[in-house]
Amino acid sequence: MTQKKIGLLLLLPALLMVLVLFLFPLGISMHAAFTDKQGVLTFEHFIKAQSLYSTDMMFTLFITLTASVLVCLCSLVLSGLMGLSESRFLVASLKWLYRWPLFIPFIVAAQCMRTFLAKNGLMNNSFVALGLYEPASSISFLDWRGIIITFVWKQTPFVTLMLAGAVASLDRSMIEAARNLGASRLRVMVEIIIPQVMPVLMVGLILSFVTMMSVLSVPMMVAGSQPTLLTVDMAFRINSYGDYPTANALGVISYCMTSLVAWFYLRQQMRDHAHQPM
Amino acid sequence: MKSKLLAFALAAGLAISAASAQTLTVATAGDQNMVDYIKDYLGPMFEKANPGVKVVAVGTGPGDGGSQKIYEKLDAQKKAGAAKVDFDVIVVHQKMAGTLASESLLDKYRERIATGTLVTRETADNSLGANVSGYVMPMFHSQTAIAYNADLVKDVPNSYTELAEWVKKNPKKFGYNGIKGGMSGVAFVSGWVTAFGGDAGKLEKGPYDAATKANWDKALGDLKAFNTNVVITPGNAGTLDMLNRGEIAMGPVWVDMFYSWMAEGKLPPNMKLKLVSPGMPGQPMYYAVPAKAAEAKLAEKFIALATSPEVQAEGIVKRFNWYPGIDAKNLQGKLSEGDWKKLFTDITPEDLAKNGKPFPIAPYFNDILEGYEKKVAN
Repeated sequence: MTQKKIGLLLLLPALLMVLVLFLFPLGISMHAAFTDKQGVLTFEHFIKAQSLYSTDMMFTLFITLTASVLVCLCSLVLSGLMGLSESRFLVASLKWLYRWPLFIPFIVAAQCMRTFLAKNGLMNNSFVALGLYEPASSISFLDWRGIIITFVWKQTPFVTLMLAGAVASLDRSMIEAARNLGASRLRVMVEIIIPQVMPVLMVGLILSFVTMMSVLSVPMMVAGSQPTLLTVDMAFRINSYGDYPTANALGVISYCMTSLVAWFYLRQQMRDHAHQPM
Repeated sequence: MKSKLLAFALAAGLAISAASAQTLTVATAGDQNMVDYIKDYLGPMFEKANPGVKVVAVGTGPGDGGSQKIYEKLDAQKKAGAAKVDFDVIVVHQKMAGTLASESLLDKYRERIATGTLVTRETADNSLGANVSGYVMPMFHSQTAIAYNADLVKDVPNSYTELAEWVKKNPKKFGYNGIKGGMSGVAFVSGWVTAFGGDAGKLEKGPYDAATKANWDKALGDLKAFNTNVVITPGNAGTLDMLNRGEIAMGPVWVDMFYSWMAEGKLPPNMKLKLVSPGMPGQPMYYAVPAKAAEAKLAEKFIALATSPEVQAEGIVKRFNWYPGIDAKNLQGKLSEGDWKKLFTDITPEDLAKNGKPFPIAPYFNDILEGYEKKVAN
């Protein structure tokens, strides 16, 4: 047997898994989204999804994009500090601390945030105890802000993990040369490090965008039901009405949102590769 | 050889466990208190009276979604041609009871059990316009009402109109759970449409006319404006929780959950209830036996116990603060005067008769919920 055939054989189980567990169900739900009871092509489920949940679609995009931007900033700051700071203590404690949220499931994070961000929660109570403001003027963050805060808290370590690895594997001589020539750390970060780790950063952000699009527990627990993320609407259509077609239509819309992001990324990748031969 | 032995041992073990224990699976929709009721109170009592029987309680979740899950399971098993279904007793909401009965997914058991004659209320036969006579026994009746903190709310609203005014004057002090997080929010919305949509009688009694929903535009538009000044809570328990933390001062709740939370000290003692006019909905939960239940006889026995005057008095009224499912006169002598009166602390029997309403018939009910998603939430 040639090596190529063995390679294919080894690949087969994984390929079958993808086929059976992902592509097949995906096909079924796509089919259900676009056909009526008789199996005739129709857009009625999308029209219904649009008439019931157009606000939630915009809300979902707004939440996930905002959270992604904040995750990007936070993870850049964290990995920059860990890569460039000269304080060993700071680097060591950051390294030790930042991974914690990775080990906490979304639902637990949501539960913690519920008690932390509530009007009479830990955060407001601490600020009141510090004398920063009166109890009456405390506000609850258990709405869109709560969702964003939970997402950023949960996803920053994930992107940082990837980014810190990329920063650590960069050629130090370039960074040191820039520092010797008098460049500030911020400038080194922006002009030398970020351009080099950009592909890793993008992959991390896209993966966390997709993760955030699929989280059900956080919007359900942290915020009320309107507006809410599409995941909650899908669960509601199925749980309360057994309305799979509309839920599938909402699923297809979520796919479109994530593929849009993936497409931007792929296009960027293609361009970069076209400029610099491998 | 070894594997043969193992297989034999396994088969023998299975045979023994099947002979010595019968399992009665009770699937219940609703909040955690429903599961607790079966698991902690009724189940152990039934197991004691029937040695060798094990009662397994399965909670399927709050609101109509919980009932929907039970329906999907039974429907799928019927379509697959299963000889026996997985649930022996089910506890469902009104809307689903009608669907289950009309699709012959239920057993007509009521006349076979002794307690079947103890209920004469209309809801035992008519479930939101669908005929369910013989298929169901009401487990209890419950009612929604507005809970408020008497220290924070001095000018208590008496009607939906006054409530809307109050909310305008006190923004973000009223909270409810929309329609996705349980039935107390659904009840509030349904009461709003009945109050402001016109022709309440038709919504409750039918006949259904698909054009009626066009008349609700103003009511739903007003509700959208109303919503800008309220807090949307995460669920039935979420509303009570926010009332407890003082984050809202008023909100619609289930009366039974309210009294239970009060009794457990989970709400401030100065909380009170108000059943606003022209009325808020209440509903029974139904016990039913699916067609082809594996333990149908045992299931009937279980429901007979659950709807006996003793259990209705001790379990339903005294411990869980629901209004009884069977007619109240059958409870005479089983309850102390004090325990009975406790049910009517804030809401008198007269209030209940005047402002305790059923939900609209199923097709109007669905229209209201979809109208809410389309015109209020979106």
